[in-house]
This record gives sequence, C-alpha cells and structure tokens, in this order.
Amino acid sequence: MSRLDDELRKAFRREQPSVDFTTRLLERVSQQPAPKAPWWHRLATLLDPPKLRWVAIGVTASLLLAIGAAQYSRLHQVVINDDGKVSQATPPPEGGNKNLVSPDQINAPRGVLSPKPPQNKRVVYPSPNHRVALARQQQEREFRVEGEAAKEKLMLALSIASAALNDAQKAVHDDGLNP
Amino acid sequence: MDKGTAARLDDRLERSALGDQFAFEEIVRQHQGMVFSMACHFLRDRSLAEELAQEVFLNLHQNLRSIKSPEHLVFWLRKVTSHRCIDQSRRLKVRPQVSLEDVPEPAIDATENDLFLSEMLRRVVDTLPEKARLVVILRYQEDLDPGEIASVLDMPLNTVKSHLRRSLSSLRDKLSRTLGEVTL
Repeated sequence: MSRLDDELRKAFRREQPSVDFTTRLLERVSQQPAPKAPWWHRLATLLDPPKLRWVAIGVTASLLLAIGAAQYSRLHQVVINDDGKVSQATPPPEGGNKNLVSPDQINAPRGVLSPKPPQNKRVVYPSPNHRVALARQQQEREFRVEGEAAKEKLMLALSIASAALNDAQKAVHDDGLNP
Repeated sequence: MDKGTAARLDDRLERSALGDQFAFEEIVRQHQGMVFSMACHFLRDRSLAEELAQEVFLNLHQNLRSIKSPEHLVFWLRKVTSHRCIDQSRRLKVRPQVSLEDVPEPAIDATENDLFLSEMLRRVVDTLPEKARLVVILRYQEDLDPGEIASVLDMPLNTVKSHLRRSLSSLRDKLSRTLGEVTL
C-alpha cells in the first residue's frame, strides 16, 4: 500500500455532522405522515408470537360459539301439526315430555316404544330450508284468505254498480219515450 | 460482526419499520457519519451535505419496510447518497468546474502539515468528474473494493477500476509536481 493510499484514507476519513443533526431530522420525521403498512405486513404482524396466542384464543372461542349455536338450534325441534300450524318444542326435561319423541324412538321397534307418539303430530328436525318453506306456506295461506275477502267485496261493488247502471239506463229510456 | 450484534441490528431495523422512533434514532446515529461524510467530501459544503444527509434519512424512513438486513441498509444508504450527491451537483452546480491544472499550489511544505496535505488531496479529488470522484470517496472513505463500488454505483467493474487507476495517476502527477521531492 503506497503512501498516497494512506494519505487519501486520512483525507477522506469520516466526519460527524453537527450535534443537532439527529434532533432536526427526527422533528422532520415526526411532521411527515407515517408510512402505511401494506395489508400483508399487517397480517404478518398478527402472526407474531405474542399476538398469535390471542388470535388462537379468539379463533377457538369463535369456533366454540358457532358449534354451541348449531347444537342449540338442533335441540330446538319444530313440530308441525296436521292442520299446518307450526309450533316450537323445547327438549324434554329429565322426566321426559310425553308429546315429543326422539329420533331413536322413531327408528326403534314398536314394542320398545314407550310412550307412543301422538297420531296427529309428526316430529320434524328442522333445517334452515325447511323453516323457510314452512314460513312461505303460512304466508301463502294468509294471502289466499285475504284474496278471497277482497274478491267478495269486489263482486258486491260490481253488482251495486250494475244495478245503478240499469236504473240509469231505464230512466234514460223512459225519458226518450215520453218527451 | 458477531451474532449478538447482528441480531440487535436486525431487531432495531424491525422495530423502526414498525414505527419505533427510538430504534430509528439509533439507526440514524449509527450511520449519520457515513452519509454525511460522503456528501461532505463530494459537495465540499457542510451545510449542503447536512441537508442532503437529512433527505437521505427521510427517504430511509419512508422505505424502512423494504430494508431486509443491516448489510442491505448500509448498501442502500451508500447507493442513495451517491445518487443524491450526483443529482445535487448537477442541479445546483455548486461546485465550480476547476481543472486539475488550476488547483492552487501549496504555500508550505506538505510534510510539515498533514492537515494541509489532506486538504490538498481533497481539492485535487474535487477536480475529478462526478463518477470518478465518487469512486475515490467510496474507495478511501468507505474502504470498499472495486467490486463493491461497482455494485453501489451500478457501474461495470472495469469502469470502476479504470476510474481508480486514472484518478490515482492524476493525483500522483499533480502532487509530485506540487510537492516536488515528496514521494507518494
């Protein structure tokens, strides 16, 4: 290594800026809008070890709630009477509800059944689609009754209007014959 | 760099990227000498160099998430500072274009005063073209080898080598003419 190299190293050695350089810079940084993290980075920070624990707890709690809700709705059976009315049934208490039967009892041989399910009721384990269909049937029935009533009113109004028209026509005809 | 230091630097970078101002301040304090010196040696103006260094660190603050490691950070700072130095020089035309021949002769014997020799060298380097000047600064301030300089300045390796060779030859010529008997 030549002396020129040494001298150049000395001449170009590092220097420090003024003492308030960092303070001024940080002031300028604080005035700038914070850079926004991209969504994948924010997602990645959720998976950091300390936060991951809370995410896992949250996910587990949500799953348990969902399973619990599903189980609860399964236990609330819908009973449809023969006349089409829908009634809700709660699960039998310890002693057992004599009006309701469980699926095991339905599938079991006749001799084993005790007590027998009532003849005028059938037990349905509802699914969301089934409930929607039942509600729709009920609504259609109500519409039909309302429609019948409206039709009767309309027929009455038409007959009154028809009678009035006949009277008017008759009066006009009589006036024409006797000027 | 030992593993502990590397891990600490990595941690500092990560915290800065997440908005930790103290971690960012540590990064600035660690690298401000390098950035400021590059700018100062290139522009030969302390206040302009400080302003440029501030711009570089503000740019870093906006791009912290793209920095992958402490080594990448140093590389990024050198590269951005080099480009900004060239931009600044072209935009402001701060440096009067002085030819090598016009550099004033020293009034005293350089061997008696190292500070004077250093200043003389800086003045002579100041007469070099922009890229060649940056090559010399990166070589002697940052102690980079030609391959590293080529990657910082996006230049072919042979161009860097030829810049260095020609710059040193010019410096030798000028200094031997100026200082006479002193062998460099």
